[in-house]
Amino acid sequence: MDPLLLVVIVIALALFFDFTNGFHDTANAMATPIATGAIKPKTAVALAAVLNLVGAFLSTEVAKTVSHGIINEGDGSGSVAITPSIILAGLMGAVVWNLLTWLLGLPSSSSHALFGGLIGAAIVGAGFGAVNYGTLVDKVLLPALAAPLIAGFAAYLATKLAYWITKRPSGSASPRRGGFRVGQIFSSSLVALAHGTNDAQKTMGIITLVLISAGHQSKGSGPEFWVVAACAVAIALGTYTGGWRIIRTMGTGLTDVKPAQGFAAEVSTASAILASSHMGFALSTTQVASGSVIGSGLGRKGAGVRWRTAGKIATGWLFTLPASAAVGAIAAALTHLGLPGLIVLIVLGLTAITGIFVLSQRQSVTHDNAMADVEASSAAVHIPSKKERRAAGRQAREAASQARKARKAADEAAKQAKEAKHQAATELRDARRRLDRDDAATRSLRTPSAATPADTLDAAADAGSGVSEPSDVERAADSRAVEPSNAGGSRTAPAAPEGQHRPESNPTQER
Amino acid sequence: MIEWISFVQVAGATMISALLVVGLYGLGVRLQAVAEDQNRNRTLQRAGSWLCFGLCGVLVLFGIILIIPALHSIVGL
Repeated sequence: MDPLLLVVIVIALALFFDFTNGFHDTANAMATPIATGAIKPKTAVALAAVLNLVGAFLSTEVAKTVSHGIINEGDGSGSVAITPSIILAGLMGAVVWNLLTWLLGLPSSSSHALFGGLIGAAIVGAGFGAVNYGTLVDKVLLPALAAPLIAGFAAYLATKLAYWITKRPSGSASPRRGGFRVGQIFSSSLVALAHGTNDAQKTMGIITLVLISAGHQSKGSGPEFWVVAACAVAIALGTYTGGWRIIRTMGTGLTDVKPAQGFAAEVSTASAILASSHMGFALSTTQVASGSVIGSGLGRKGAGVRWRTAGKIATGWLFTLPASAAVGAIAAALTHLGLPGLIVLIVLGLTAITGIFVLSQRQSVTHDNAMADVEASSAAVHIPSKKERRAAGRQAREAASQARKARKAADEAAKQAKEAKHQAATELRDARRRLDRDDAATRSLRTPSAATPADTLDAAADAGSGVSEPSDVERAADSRAVEPSNAGGSRTAPAAPEGQHRPESNPTQER
Repeated sequence: MIEWISFVQVAGATMISALLVVGLYGLGVRLQAVAEDQNRNRTLQRAGSWLCFGLCGVLVLFGIILIIPALHSIVGL
C-alpha cells in the first residue's frame, strides 16, 4: 500500500478519535452551569467548543510525550523502527475499544484506550523494545494514579474552604452561596480549556508520530502548526455536537451537585489538568474530573463513600489499558500478514465503527448513556441532603428524649420499689410490735411484779421506731434496742404478721 | 528515572491554585452576601467583593500565562 495513503488514513482516524473524545468527554464540562441555569445552553456549548479550540493551542508538552516519549521512533541507535501500519493498528484498537465501552456504558478513558492500543500494537508489531517503559511509567502510568488523587484531595480541601468561608448565621437574609452559581460559568470554562490542553494534544502526538515514522518529519520535532490546528478544530467540533446531545437530555435530571461544591471541584480539576499538561503528563481528563467530583463530595457535611460504586469505577479504569492493548495487539498481528492483512484490518475496523454507530442510534438517549463517567462518579459519594440531615437530627433528638424518658421511668420505678420495701418493713415492724405487746401483756398477767403497762411499752416502741430481732423479743421490749438501719432491711415481710394473733383493738398507727 | 520533583510540583501547584482561587472567590461571595445585611456599609462590602473576584481572575490569568511559553515575556519569565 502506498505509504502516503496509509499516513492519510491514520491522520483521518486520529482526527475521528479526537472528535469522539470531544463528543464524549469534554462537552460534559458545561453540563452543570446549564443545569443550574447560570448560562444559556447555546452559549455554553459554543463557549466550551471555543475554549477547547483555544486550549489545544496553549501547549505542546503532552503531544511531545506521545510523539517521542512513549514509543521509540526508530532509525536511531538502540531504537526500533515503528511503521505507520503499527500506529494504524494501535489507533484502530483504541477507537474500537472506546466506542464499544461507550455503547455498553462501561466506565473507560479515551486516553488510556489510546495508550493501551498503541502499546499493544507496538509490542506485537515491533517487539518489546519498541516501548519506552521509563517514560510510560513516568508520564502516563504514575500520573494516571496520582493526578485523580491530587485533584480529589485539592477538591476536598477546596470544598471545605468554600463552605467554611461562606458560612453565615442562619438568620441572615440574603442568599449565602448564590454567587457560586455564576462562578461555575468561569470554572466550567477553565475545565473546557484544560481539556483542550490535554486531550487534543494526544491526537497531535499520534499524528506527529505517524509523520515521523513515515519520514515526513524529523525525529524529535514537535507537532506542525497544521496538525495543531486540525486537532483543535476536531475536538471543538466534537464538543459542539456532543454538547447538543447533552442539552437534549438535560431534562432527565442531574446528580445534585451544589454550586459551591461544583465550583470547588471544577477549579481543582482545571488546576490539576493544566499543571499536568505543563509537565507533559498525558492523563485521563475524565479520571481527574471524577477524582475531583468524589473529593468535593467528601468535603460536604456528613458525606460518605459508596465503596461499591467507587470500586466499579476504579475497576473500569484499571481494565481499560490492558483491554485496549489486547485489541491493539490483535490489530497489529493482522498487519504482519502484509497488504491483505492491512486491508482486512481497515475493513474490519470501519465495519466495527459503523456497526457500533448504528447500534447506538437505536438506543434512546437518556440520562444514563448521555452522561459521562464524571457524572457517574458523583454517585460514589453519598451526601445527605438537608432533609436527610434534618431527619437524622430529629431521630437523634427523639432517641435522646426517649432515653431521658426511660431513665425517668426507671428512677420512678426504683423509687416505688423503695417505698414498697419501706412499707413492707413498716408493716413487719408493726406486726412485731404487736407481737411484743401481746407477749408483754401475757407476761405481765403472769407476773404482776413486771410493772410495765402495755401503753407505756407501746409509746416507747413508737418513739424508738426500732425493730427487734424476733428471737430476743424481751430485750427489745425492755431496752428499746434501736437499729434504724434494719428498718428497711431485706427481711421478708410476710413471715411475721401472717398467721399471728392480731388484736382488733390495736390503735397503733405508724406514720 | 522517575521525575518525582515534577509530581511534587504538580501536586503543589494544584493545591495552591485551587485553594487560592476558591478561597478568594468564596470571600467575594461572602462579602456580597454581607453587603445585603442591614447596618452595613454597602459600598465598602461590594467593593471588597469585586476586589476578591478581580484578584481571582488575575490569578487564573497568571496561571494560564505560566503554561503558554509564547506569553512568558509578558510576566518577564
